[in-house]
Amino acid sequence: MDERSKGDVFVDGSHCGVNVGEMTIDTGMGAMIGNDAGMGKNDGGIAALKMCDEHGIPAAAVAAMSAKIGSGMSTYEQGKISAANETAKKMGVASGMTAKEAADKMLEALAAS
Amino acid sequence: MTHEVHKVVKETGGFRIVIANSATSATEENKNDIVIDGSHCGANIAPDYILPSGARGMIGNDAGIGLENAGIASLKTLGEHGIPAAAVAAMSAEIGIGQSTYDDGVISAVNEVAKEMGITAGMSAKEAADKMLAGVLKQRG
Repeated sequence: MDERSKGDVFVDGSHCGVNVGEMTIDTGMGAMIGNDAGMGKNDGGIAALKMCDEHGIPAAAVAAMSAKIGSGMSTYEQGKISAANETAKKMGVASGMTAKEAADKMLEALAAS
Repeated sequence: MTHEVHKVVKETGGFRIVIANSATSATEENKNDIVIDGSHCGANIAPDYILPSGARGMIGNDAGIGLENAGIASLKTLGEHGIPAAAVAAMSAEIGIGQSTYDDGVISAVNEVAKEMGITAGMSAKEAADKMLAGVLKQRG
């Protein structure tokens, strides 16, 4: 994740913890989909979603039991959305949706904006 | 990619226990370190970050274990390279925050090398880190 990904809908195998939120915002991602890492303590696994919302960046997470954490391709091909931020929800992203469909919705919304 | 400054919490005989939020920030500067991080222990962590850095031990987050135990896949890989590794339960520590792994983490999974050093599930991450440090000192002889 670096500035080469600026504006991209970035689908990754990482958790969506607070440090990933910082990276997503700092690198200027267009949108992000990661792994919820089982949510975990203080919902730490999806902390980035709210942070991204504050910067108008759509973000969502797939359930840890649906995709292999650490593998971005698994997030994209196997992932089922378990959490989405408000910005993503407005684009039609919802829990239960496949990551592929969610990514398409994010891309369409960004292209239309 | 990530250029975070690691916190050194212990130093003995040339080995250190260091805290990092992300395992992706491990570099050759961590050669001989026990790296305690806030990352998951997925398949990419060992070959892409921990092994190239030359770190001597690792404790990360189990990320809820997840599909096909992906959250702890690197433990076995590190064990195959003789490196002790363990994960803390996602419900015990906040993923993404290395200090939480160290301060709050409760071990949920260990590899064979860590097991031989006396590290077991249910142990605090701090105690496990101390055992790894003692273990690598002993390995050196």
